[in-house]
Amino acid sequence: MSVRETFPRLDIELVDLSEVICCGDPVKSVNEFAANFLAVRVLALVNLTGQDNLLVPCNRCHFTISEVQETMKNSKSAHKIIELLKQEGLDYNSNIKVWHTIDILHDLVGLEKLRQAVKKPLKDLKVATHVGCQIIRYSDLQRVDDAENPRKLDELINALGAETVDYAEKLDCCGAALTRSHPDSALSLAGSKLKAVQSLRVDGMVVSCPDCQLMFDARQKEAGTTVGTKLNVPVVYYTQLLGLALGIDEKKLGLDLNQSPVDQLQAKICV
Amino acid sequence: MAKPNFESRDKILSKLKGKELVNCFQCLKCTSGCTALKLLELKPHEIIKLVNLGFVDELPSSDIIWTCVTCLKCVQRCPQKASPYHVIIALRNLAVEKEAKVPETYMKIVSSILETGLAEPPQKIVTKKMKTVDRECLKLPKIKPPRESFQASFMKAMEEK
Repeated sequence: MSVRETFPRLDIELVDLSEVICCGDPVKSVNEFAANFLAVRVLALVNLTGQDNLLVPCNRCHFTISEVQETMKNSKSAHKIIELLKQEGLDYNSNIKVWHTIDILHDLVGLEKLRQAVKKPLKDLKVATHVGCQIIRYSDLQRVDDAENPRKLDELINALGAETVDYAEKLDCCGAALTRSHPDSALSLAGSKLKAVQSLRVDGMVVSCPDCQLMFDARQKEAGTTVGTKLNVPVVYYTQLLGLALGIDEKKLGLDLNQSPVDQLQAKICV
Repeated sequence: MAKPNFESRDKILSKLKGKELVNCFQCLKCTSGCTALKLLELKPHEIIKLVNLGFVDELPSSDIIWTCVTCLKCVQRCPQKASPYHVIIALRNLAVEKEAKVPETYMKIVSSILETGLAEPPQKIVTKKMKTVDRECLKLPKIKPPRESFQASFMKAMEEK
């Protein structure tokens, strides 16, 4: 919701796909060929729109689709996938540029344009960032930011007037992928990171992946029980924070759907 | 006595893009940064070593291959490009082929994709004021299901090994 609200205000027009399918990420563990087929099929659907830029707001989907672009260059199975798509009347286009929310805003829109668009500077707000895993690793694929010292999300937040902190657990994983096999451990990973963030005494945590957001926001209470701590960390996706800085109504940004105490963070902005 | 099985080893190698894993010199960079080490005792360097020596028959049926969180730190940091993550994914694929114990959720996801195109159907959510909302209430566009031919081609794709 917040992507749909904020992007047009930064002169990026969004076009929906004519059909929607999974990117293939969870299927990788079952059958890599089928997973690749799904990811390539997504690119073939993008091709139908006539656009050559694809926006993927999720880290895992972004990784899966970026990796398949590389696989298609030199894999024995590439022609089989293309053949399967042909039978469906679909064509793979290898020239589609895959963007993530973070790099499209940082590299294409640019920090200067963002600064100018801000209507409500987020002064006196201090947040921790969670970039997640799969948009920064592994560097042999073109990734969104540096693998060991990602800065773009921090810079995007700073452009809105807020401060970000560096902390030891910054690169720790949210655990989402483990929910399919070891759900308790998945929650402990999310819980440990939230506990660390809580001890920083910041106003909240900004994430760049909806799957991480699910772990840190919607499942925060459960995560707290795994680490024996009452967690109280407002967690938002970057474009939700961006939307607030652009003066967009909280409902349009889906902030009433967050389960973590985002009102604490909003209260800091309104003053 | 455990004996190496080079046929099974070749099967794993054939699922990988490269054979760089044979260059592993056990520096333990993967294991020392592994997200799943602390909680679930995943030691990626051991998996690489076992595969290289041909001790692979037990791996697909072991729970250890399902403890990886796919954070990709091992791929990033391996100086030899042995890429433990990709080896683990290959072992998971082999587990499915051998009909070993696979976490149920994965199979549920596959059938959901087959039926709807999506890993999970769109869900309703409850706001903090306890109001249940769906995509329509939120004025989000309808999710358009894939064309009819999708099911058949996804099934064909699932048959590939």
